[in-house]
Amino acid sequence: MKISIDIHVNGEQYPAEVEPRTTLLEFLRGTLHLTGTKEGCGLGDCGTCIVLLDGKPVNSCLVLAVDANGRRVTTIEGLAEDGKLHPVQQSFIDNGAVQCGFCTPAMILTTKALLDKNPDPAEGEIKQALGGILCRCGSYQKILNSVQAVGKGERK
Amino acid sequence: MMSQKGSAGYVGKRVLRVDAPAKVTGNAVYGIDIELPGMLHGATLRSPYPHADIVEIDTSAALKAPGVRAVVTGKDFPCYFGDMVRDQPFLAVDRVRFVGDPVAAVAAETEAQALEALEKIRVKYRELPAVFDPREAMAEGAPLIHPDFEKYTRNIPASMVPHTNICVSRKFSLGDVEKGFAEADEIFEDSFSAQALSHVTMEPHTAIAQFTPLDGHYTVWSPSDRPQRLHKELADALGLAHTRIRFIVPYVGGSYGGKNTLRAEAIAVALARFTHGRPVKVVFSRAEALTATQTRLAAFMKLTTGVRKDGTFTARRAEIVWDNGAYISNAPGVANRGVLTILGPYRIPNLDLVSRLVYTNKETTGSYRGFGTTQVTWACEVQMDIIAAKLGIDPLTIRLKNAYVEGDAYINGQIMRDVRVKETIEKAGREIKLEKDSTSPSPTRRRGKGIATMLKSTATPTDSFCAIKVDMDGGVTVFSSSSEIGAGEQTMMAQIAADAVGVPLSAVSVPNPDTAITPYDHGVSSSRTTYHMGNCVQQAGRDVRKRLLGIAAEVLATDPERLSLFEGNIIETGVGQRMTLKELLSKKFNNKSGAIFGEGHFTPAGNPVLEAREGLKGISSIFWMFATHAAEVEVDTETGVVKVLNVAAAHDIGRAINPVGCEQQIEGSVILGISNTLFEEFKMENGRILNDSLSDYKLATMEDLPKIVSIFVEAEPDREALAVVKGIGEPAAAATAPAIANAIYNAVGVRIKDLPITPDKVLAALREKDNQKGR
Repeated sequence: MKISIDIHVNGEQYPAEVEPRTTLLEFLRGTLHLTGTKEGCGLGDCGTCIVLLDGKPVNSCLVLAVDANGRRVTTIEGLAEDGKLHPVQQSFIDNGAVQCGFCTPAMILTTKALLDKNPDPAEGEIKQALGGILCRCGSYQKILNSVQAVGKGERK
Repeated sequence: MMSQKGSAGYVGKRVLRVDAPAKVTGNAVYGIDIELPGMLHGATLRSPYPHADIVEIDTSAALKAPGVRAVVTGKDFPCYFGDMVRDQPFLAVDRVRFVGDPVAAVAAETEAQALEALEKIRVKYRELPAVFDPREAMAEGAPLIHPDFEKYTRNIPASMVPHTNICVSRKFSLGDVEKGFAEADEIFEDSFSAQALSHVTMEPHTAIAQFTPLDGHYTVWSPSDRPQRLHKELADALGLAHTRIRFIVPYVGGSYGGKNTLRAEAIAVALARFTHGRPVKVVFSRAEALTATQTRLAAFMKLTTGVRKDGTFTARRAEIVWDNGAYISNAPGVANRGVLTILGPYRIPNLDLVSRLVYTNKETTGSYRGFGTTQVTWACEVQMDIIAAKLGIDPLTIRLKNAYVEGDAYINGQIMRDVRVKETIEKAGREIKLEKDSTSPSPTRRRGKGIATMLKSTATPTDSFCAIKVDMDGGVTVFSSSSEIGAGEQTMMAQIAADAVGVPLSAVSVPNPDTAITPYDHGVSSSRTTYHMGNCVQQAGRDVRKRLLGIAAEVLATDPERLSLFEGNIIETGVGQRMTLKELLSKKFNNKSGAIFGEGHFTPAGNPVLEAREGLKGISSIFWMFATHAAEVEVDTETGVVKVLNVAAAHDIGRAINPVGCEQQIEGSVILGISNTLFEEFKMENGRILNDSLSDYKLATMEDLPKIVSIFVEAEPDREALAVVKGIGEPAAAATAPAIANAIYNAVGVRIKDLPITPDKVLAALREKDNQKGR
């Protein structure tokens, strides 16, 4: 049995028929071919598959596509506007926060959500917000710097 | 402004990574992202037993399952691979040797169908006695894991002890160790262990393979750090000409030494052989990546060290038993290189070193960031502190007293150059204020500081080849097989090429490797890439620049000596800018299209491998890496939890090609080091790994991030950067663990000698200490 859904991804409507067990991650990567969202474990442990659902970070491997029906999904592909990088993306480049890059989309999206809520987070809040995303290259210091740099930019 | 050397000076500048825009937008294509027309999905059936004979496999029901296009077993594809010893079947043939050994694989239209079909495969096993501890596996009467070892094809000198599980046994001696002990005032004997570790690349192991039946070609898409070596390994395993195999490398989601052998590749290749040309994609689950790829070698080390009262070393005896696991990857190299650095960066005149690599019924092991250095540095530097404490010498002084200096001979007689270990010790110690006690916030939250230093060699000699193409519009492309695994390889190559050719950094592109196109390189390993490929790219850049200036001299009817190429402009001495590179090449090619090529090849001097045997002379490492980490920790005496507060990491890097990249490597390694030291270990039961998920195999997160200060110790500024540059990827990971352990001792007075340092071990040690006090 397939279920009809209509998900709003990165500003576009995507009507589709999905198996009830299809995860949002599978839908984004497999059906929409939005491979910027990564799969690191499929169990919600690593955080690399984080996307924004109605502006809030979720592990897309733990959300069913049917549960995202009628809601707004933002993936890394939807962050730049008119060819201009989002300030968080730019800050990650400028502050050297990218190494292998596999966790980068999740880190950037989670940062965006954090800064949307609080443009000037304390160091502890940043660490807590991003603490659920693993980065084996250990870019944490530079990611922290990047988040703080965006925060400062917005305060000016 | 033009620098003295006529380049814009990208080398040494803080430049933004060239791969970052693709990575922050989700446009970078990794192995798991690739989809091909007609692509099937593979899944692997793995052994539930650590050691068993395969009596029978029935795949008939799986073959009939929905969507299934191929099922393959070891009988269908009886090939063996192995870079050093060809002991590993693509799929088990007759026998399984660890829980997770691949037994059969299925290719189906969807991954779900492949997984469902696996459940229909029936395998009858006959269990065999298994052995999990390498010390027990060495004992007489232990079950033999590879009774046919002698028959395997080997690319390493045979040093196996016949009819045992000891697959490599090495001895090295220098001077007279008994005489050295006789000269000592104190002799210290301590045992240490370092645990197996998973690389945990965030991108799990992935490969896609396609076989073209008509011409017998294999194409493999593999996010690997050593595509050319894998290419060779596969060609050797299948007995095929190199031209029949092609490895295409996408972006790599991390390696740390974990993606340098055939893992998902082996399964994908075996399946592809039977799918009539359809490509097969194999993505290991996180559980497979943790339990069935490869781990760091666990090591059991006994160190006996003779020291005079003034802190001078007189002798060291070291015995190491390394846990190889079920098959040989590159563990012999790890065991060999590891034992030869168990003296640390110190002068010890008399040595007696024994190293044994032993098969066990466990996951295969191999290179892991540090290649054996992490394990031995752990033992060496914790004992160093034990010695210092007993002799009443401070940790900084005893290290400085014994540290190598410029011109010292290494144990094989090699005269060491560019030795700046003392500077790393002094700078890290000063940064953390080692001489000042930490202030503890409460009687149950005790703070302390510790220091540890290290030495590491690089694989020598190894080869790098590359080519540089300049297109008609002045665009420069670097063809190199050095994968971008995250360490900044592409950016480094782009900087060096831009300077060497004389074009803006933005004009340079460095595509990912493709072994059909990019020439041989030993691989992104052993912290060798910046030095080896860097020099190679520089050579190719200078070669193509010379050709371009020759063309310019012809077109402008002048002497090439009068011309230079700067930021894409042809400049003539005394005249100034004559034309752009684009204008020059348009003229040369008569407004049609064309390209100019340059080539580079770099192989430093050296001996093939530093064999652990007496009397070998020569160059075992073209450069020596030194680093010192100093840590401040807080130990909660009620919970045993250790928190790292500050780390000062001083590295002798020769010269930073991109300072941002150097910081990334150092900061990242400190995090890896903290994670390795405090959190990571495999929990096992009868050969089965129990914590096969990332909720149970714990890694450091951003919440564990301490304050990290990266300190570069560099060569004199008048020397050319690429002549003095050293690797930085691996050394950083070695010194963190002992620095933390030494800081814990400083905080609460307990010595932990077995990694990881978990709260239960800290509490047990504190209890033991209290009991001794009470007695």
